Amino acid sequence: MVRTKGYPEALEKKLADTRLYEDEKNPDFTKAVEKISMTIPHMCFQCGTCTASCPSAPRSSYRIRKFVRRALLGLENEALTDPDLWLCTTCYSCTDRCPRDIAPTDVIMAMRNLAFKRDIVPVNFLKTVQAIYTTGHGVPNNDVNRAARKKLGLPADPPTTHGFPKYVKGIQHILDYYELKKNADRIVKEREG
Amino acid sequence: MAEKKTKKESTSKKDTKKQAAPAAKAAEASKAPTVSSKEARVGVYICHCGTNIAGSVDIPAVQEYAKTLPNVAWVDNYQYMCSTPGQKKIEENIKEHNLTGIVVAACSPRLHEPTFRTATKEGGLNPFRFEMANIREQGSWVHMHDREGATDKAKDAIRIAVAKAALLQDLVPKAVPVEKAALVVGAGVAGMQAALDLANAGIKTYLVEKNPTIGGRMSQLDKTFPTLDCSQCILTPKMVDVGRAENIELMTYAEIAEVEGYIGNFDVTIRRKPRGVLTPVEAEAKGIVGGGCNGCGDCEAVCPVIKPNPFEMDMKPRKAIYIYHPQVVPLIYTVDFDSCIKCGLCVTACGEKKAIDLEAKDEFVKVKVGTAILALGYDMFPIEKKDEWGYQKYDNVVNSLEFERLICASGPTGGHLVRPSDGVTPKKVAFLLCAGSRDNTGIGKPYCSRFCCMYSLKHAHQIIEKIPGCQPYLFYMDIRSFGKMYEEFYYRIQDEGAKFMRGRVANILEDPVTKNLTVVAEDTLLNRPINLEVDMVVLAAAVQPSSDTDRTRKLFGVSCSQDGWLLEAHPKLNPCGTTTAGVFLAGVCQGPKDIPDTVASAEGAASAASIPIHKGEVELEPYFAQCIEEKCAGCGMCVNLCPYQALALVEKEGRKVMQVTEAKCKGCGTCGGFCPGGAIWMQHFATPQIVAQIDAFLLGGAK
Repeated sequence: MVRTKGYPEALEKKLADTRLYEDEKNPDFTKAVEKISMTIPHMCFQCGTCTASCPSAPRSSYRIRKFVRRALLGLENEALTDPDLWLCTTCYSCTDRCPRDIAPTDVIMAMRNLAFKRDIVPVNFLKTVQAIYTTGHGVPNNDVNRAARKKLGLPADPPTTHGFPKYVKGIQHILDYYELKKNADRIVKEREG
Repeated sequence: MAEKKTKKESTSKKDTKKQAAPAAKAAEASKAPTVSSKEARVGVYICHCGTNIAGSVDIPAVQEYAKTLPNVAWVDNYQYMCSTPGQKKIEENIKEHNLTGIVVAACSPRLHEPTFRTATKEGGLNPFRFEMANIREQGSWVHMHDREGATDKAKDAIRIAVAKAALLQDLVPKAVPVEKAALVVGAGVAGMQAALDLANAGIKTYLVEKNPTIGGRMSQLDKTFPTLDCSQCILTPKMVDVGRAENIELMTYAEIAEVEGYIGNFDVTIRRKPRGVLTPVEAEAKGIVGGGCNGCGDCEAVCPVIKPNPFEMDMKPRKAIYIYHPQVVPLIYTVDFDSCIKCGLCVTACGEKKAIDLEAKDEFVKVKVGTAILALGYDMFPIEKKDEWGYQKYDNVVNSLEFERLICASGPTGGHLVRPSDGVTPKKVAFLLCAGSRDNTGIGKPYCSRFCCMYSLKHAHQIIEKIPGCQPYLFYMDIRSFGKMYEEFYYRIQDEGAKFMRGRVANILEDPVTKNLTVVAEDTLLNRPINLEVDMVVLAAAVQPSSDTDRTRKLFGVSCSQDGWLLEAHPKLNPCGTTTAGVFLAGVCQGPKDIPDTVASAEGAASAASIPIHKGEVELEPYFAQCIEEKCAGCGMCVNLCPYQALALVEKEGRKVMQVTEAKCKGCGTCGGFCPGGAIWMQHFATPQIVAQIDAFLLGGAK
C-alpha cells in the first residue's frame, strides 16, 4: 500500500473516490432521525445560519450544517461514524436562529442515539454515564469545589445526590431500566480491556 | 329591483313567470322556450380530459352507470369536452334528443362552466340549464391511485348533478349600467400608472392617496435596477402628468371611509384628512381671489415645531407645516395637526394668500364609480423583531430604504453615504439579503420579497461608484436575478468587485467603542465560519402589506392570503381581478413586485377595470334571492343578516315584505338558509334542487 514516502495515508485519502453514490443514501435513516428528533431536517436549505451560530464550529471541525445535510440525504454511515457528531455543546443557538424552524441540535441528539445503538460512542461520554451512575452527577463534586463552596458560605456538598446520597439509587434504577450503564460498561471494557 | 317578482300574480303552476317559479315547486321546467315536453330529459357528457380523468376513472363504467339514472335521456363521452367538437356534441344533442338539462362531468366549474353554458345556449336551451360535475379536481386528481374509488366518486358526482339538472329552471342574467368613472386607491407608481391609463382611455378617475403627495415608495428610491435610471427622474414626469390630467381628480391626504354598492355602481365615501392649507382652487371657491398655497414655503420657515420627516425615513427634520420633498405633487403644504401648536406664525407669514386654515376639519366626499383599483403598496417589515441583527440597537445597522435615502442626492446627507454613529464614510459595508424573508420561524415572513436581491446588487454598485475603495459584501442564500437584464446586472456588479458570501448571517455584534460591526456567518461554499468586521450593515428587510391594507380591503370585500397580501381571482389567469366583481389589484398589494412588474400589473388592472366601463353594462349572475311574498311574515330578520346590504323591508298592499336589490345580492344564501318561514327562494340553489341533490347522494348508491 505504501506508494509514497512520508505521506502514504494522506495520498490514499487524496486519491480516494469521493463521489456521492445512491447506495450510500438510506431514506429510513432520515425517517428515523426525524422521528426521534421530532424536527424536520428534510426542510434544510443550507443557509449556514446554524454553523455561523455554533460556538463549536470556529474552534473545531464540527459543522452542524453538514450533519443536517446528511440527515436530509440519509447518509447514515457518514453521519454516525463522523467523530464530529460528539462536538455539539447542545447550546441550541442554531435552533434559535434557523429560518426554516428546524431544531439542528435535536437532529444531532437523534443521531447520537442512533450511533449509540451501533456502539459508536466516545469513551468519555461513557465515563460520564458511569459517573452519573455512581454519584448522580456527570461532573461530581471534588475537593477544589468543596473548598470554593465553603469560602462562599455554602455547604460543602450541594443539596443534590451529593447532599442526599440515598437518592442515587433512584437514578441507578432509571439507568438500569434503559441498560445504559450495562452497555457503557461493556463498551468501555471492549475498548480499554 | 325594477321588476320585483310578485308571488300573487302566479295563481297556478302553468302561468308562473320564470322568477315566480318557487311556488311551482320547480319540479318541472317552467316556461323553457324551446322545450315542449314537461318531463326532464338530461344529457350527460363525461370528459376524459386526456388522461387527467380517464387515467384514474373508468369512463365506460361511469357512462353505463349514467344511463341507468332517472331522467337521463342521453349519455356520451369525449376526449376533451371543452374542445369545439365536444361542445358541438352538446349543441346537436339538445335538438336531436330534445334535452332539457345538460350535465358535463369534467373539471372545476371555475374553469369551464362558462364554456358549457355557452354550448347549452347555442343548442337552444337556457344557459342556466347546465350543471357541472367536478370529477377532476375533486375526483381523479385527489384519488389518482385509487381507480375504483375515483370511479365510484365520479358516479356519485354525476348522480347528484343529474338530480339537480332535472330541476333546473330558466334564468335570465340581470344587466346593470356601469358608471363611467373609476376609483384608484393609492398613488404610488402602480396607482399613478393605472390612473393615467384609465384617464387616457377617457374615463373619469378618482385617485386617492393617504400621504400629502403622490409618488409612493418609488419616489424614495435613488436609482433603479438594472438600468440605473434615477428613480425620481423617471417618476416625476408621471407625477406631473397625474397632476395635470383632466380626467384625474386627485385627492391626496385622503382615505376611503366607506364603500357601498356593487360593480358598475360603487358609492364611495372618501375622508379628506384636514390638510389645513387651501389649494388655489379651494381658496377661490371661498372667495379669496388669487389666494391659496403656491408652495412658496414662507410658512415652513417660520414654523417653530420640528418633527422627523417620514419620507426621509425620519433621518431629516421637517416642520409642523411641511412638504415631503421639493418635487411633491400637488405642491401644497400640509399642517401636521398632531404636532401643530397653533401659534399662528404661518398664518401671518402666508399673508394675503390666506392659504392656511388652522381650524380645518375632516371632509367627506362621495363619489360614484363603476370599478375600483386597489394599489395599496407595501411597508418595510419591522426588522428589529429579528433581534440577532441589532437593527435599532446598533447605530450602524440600517434598513435598505434608509440606505436609499442616505445614498440619494436629495436625501438627508446630500447623497454622501455616512455611518449614522459618527458621520464617517464607511469603507466596508455588509448587505444582508433575505433579512426577514424566507423565514418560517413565525417572526419573519415565509415568502421571498422578490426585489431585495436586485436592489442590493444596485446598492453595491452605488457604493463602489461613489466611494473609491469601499468594499461591499453581500451575504446571500440565493441570488434571484430572474428579470430581463437582471442576470447580466449580477454579472456586472460581481465584475465591479462586489464580494458575494453565500451564507445567511447568524448575528451581528457591535464594538461599543468604535461602533464597528462584526458580522457572524458561515461561508457555506468553503464550509468555514467567518467573523467579518465592517463599518456598516444594510438589512435588505422583507416587505409586508402597508398598514392600511387590511382596513381598506375589508371595505371593498377583498380577501387576503395568510400573509396579508390581497388575493387575486386566479393566481395565473386573473392576477389583477378579485372575487369582488369590479374591484381590481395593482402592484405590490397583491404580492411583492419590482417596478417593471408593478407597472405591468397596474396597466393590466387599468385595462381590466376599463372593460365594464366601456361596455357600459355588466351582466350579473342571476343567483339572486327572491322573496316569496305570500310566505313572508315581514319579520325583517334577514335584512340584518345580509352581508351585502341587499335586502330591505318594503310596504306592499298594507303589509311589510322583504325586497331584494338584485344587483347587490351575491346569492350567498345566508338569508335563504335562515328564513324561519321558508319565504326566500335562492335562484339556481333552490331548496327543492338542493334536497334532490342530497337525496340523490344519500339514497342513490354507486355500486
